[in-house]
Amino acid sequence: MNWFIRGLKKGIQTEREPRGTPQWGSALKVNKEFKDCPTGATQGGWDAGKCVFCRRCFPDLSPTGDHRMGKVSRTEAKFSRSFYLYPIDVGTCGGCNAELKLIASPQYDMTRFGIFFTNTPRHADGVVVMGVITEGMREVLRETLEAVPSPKVVVLMGACAISGGIIGEKVDVDADAVVPGCPPSPNTILDVLIKVKGGKGW
Amino acid sequence: MRFIGKLGNVCIYDDSQNEECPDFEFHAGSSGGYGEFTFVYGPSAGGLLESVQFKIRTSGEQILEIHADPYFKVRHISLSGGIDDVALKVERINAMFSASHSIAFLLSVERSLDEEPDYETQMGRIVELELERVRNHLYVLHKLVDTGALGVASYQLQAMQEATNRVIGEACGHRYFFGVNSLNHVECNFEKVDLRYLKRFNSFLNDLLENRILIDRFQNNGKIDQDWLIGPTARASGRKYDARYDSGSLPYKDLGFSPVIERSPDVFGRFLVRGEEIMQSVDIIQEAMKKWKRKERKEVKVKGTGEGMSRLESPSGDMVYRVMIDGSKVKASFLPPSKANLLFFLKSVIGTIFTDFPFNWESFGIWISEIGVDTG
Repeated sequence: MNWFIRGLKKGIQTEREPRGTPQWGSALKVNKEFKDCPTGATQGGWDAGKCVFCRRCFPDLSPTGDHRMGKVSRTEAKFSRSFYLYPIDVGTCGGCNAELKLIASPQYDMTRFGIFFTNTPRHADGVVVMGVITEGMREVLRETLEAVPSPKVVVLMGACAISGGIIGEKVDVDADAVVPGCPPSPNTILDVLIKVKGGKGW
Repeated sequence: MRFIGKLGNVCIYDDSQNEECPDFEFHAGSSGGYGEFTFVYGPSAGGLLESVQFKIRTSGEQILEIHADPYFKVRHISLSGGIDDVALKVERINAMFSASHSIAFLLSVERSLDEEPDYETQMGRIVELELERVRNHLYVLHKLVDTGALGVASYQLQAMQEATNRVIGEACGHRYFFGVNSLNHVECNFEKVDLRYLKRFNSFLNDLLENRILIDRFQNNGKIDQDWLIGPTARASGRKYDARYDSGSLPYKDLGFSPVIERSPDVFGRFLVRGEEIMQSVDIIQEAMKKWKRKERKEVKVKGTGEGMSRLESPSGDMVYRVMIDGSKVKASFLPPSKANLLFFLKSVIGTIFTDFPFNWESFGIWISEIGVDTG
């Protein structure tokens, strides 16, 4: 069958609202104090950036199903129509890489929100940094951030980049937004990216 | 006797081990002729999902020599301590093969303790591993078809990959099986597994095979036909190498399993094997679910000393774990399939042109994250 016809026959798969967030990829509610968190995410409340969603705290903490866990400290309205991202892996398990790629899948279709990937930092508006910082990638990250023209935004994605998680050292850069999760689900990623470009989120 | 790979200083075979094992370098080919030059691809570049660097020597078009450095993003992950703490790290070595890593680790712990997991738990583990295989094969096919610029097919494959992630997330609470596996237990409700979206995958694959542009890119590209091969690479070359068939780690034989093989030791063969294995895995999942039963987790007491090893079939080939237990502490080391596959890829790339490079690279299903790990 012709692929164009096959595409039409399949119909629209893009979703109008967030669907498919897994329980342990959503914000946690504190029901009771829990002290044995392996990353210290439950000291004085719940810290989404430190949480690796290992379930050890259950039922003292329980999932809410709400994927909106990200924090945006600076928005850039210049990117409201078109926002090109350069992803950089400085020490991941591959989970963040795979989930970031999936925001391009038909269910999410990032392009309808004006979000695109680019193959070079020279053409990027923002950098998405994933993974714990590793020695070999320190200089590569520095050069990448320098290569992106201003104005630019830096997004830290996943517990590893934000806090080091349970694997290693966090990425020490001034971030404009953070996307918690281990790895973050496509819904959480889209929510933050849309907010960074001045939108209401997903 | 087939060679699996090198774990520490030991050569691992399907039925034995050998202390004397040569080092393998991530290098292939030779050069030195007039007008040749080297160009660098990576570590961070478009087209590479993970950070890895290639130094490629060419006289203009053909790849004559290649070095790979998968250690730019090497992570130092200590795999020693309490079993639950080590398991937490093991599942984060490679998210795409997380079930394979976790289950191989737990099987080796159970072996070292002479504990046989319940039959239902073993069936649950098979369902996990096959869901992981379906997801990974869909991802590899998506990347291959995407590289061939077949937009509609590529996005439809990606939609199926996302649908598989959602099935896993719905059944197990996490899209990559994190926090799901423990000694003699699988924390999933497989009654929620619904794979109807893959019902017409056979006709989808047949339509792809009618596309001449894609087939021309795949056939005779990245040929490798040697006795040391693993996973889909081995099966594409006609070898019945599959840990589901020859390791006995999990009761696949009760499900009437026999490996898919093809006789095309190139990108095309690897594409075909992965496509056919998606359909086979769906059948295995359905059969295993009939023998699976949800159970509550029971605390397994860990005591004594021991040593154990296990081997299972990850989506890209044999995965081996070895553990030593002393009291309640465990020390683990592992052999990931991506290490061997990277060596095969480098060998197969010699003589091809750079335009063929991405097709060949994607066909091996290599994950740098599981190569670049220093367990100390």
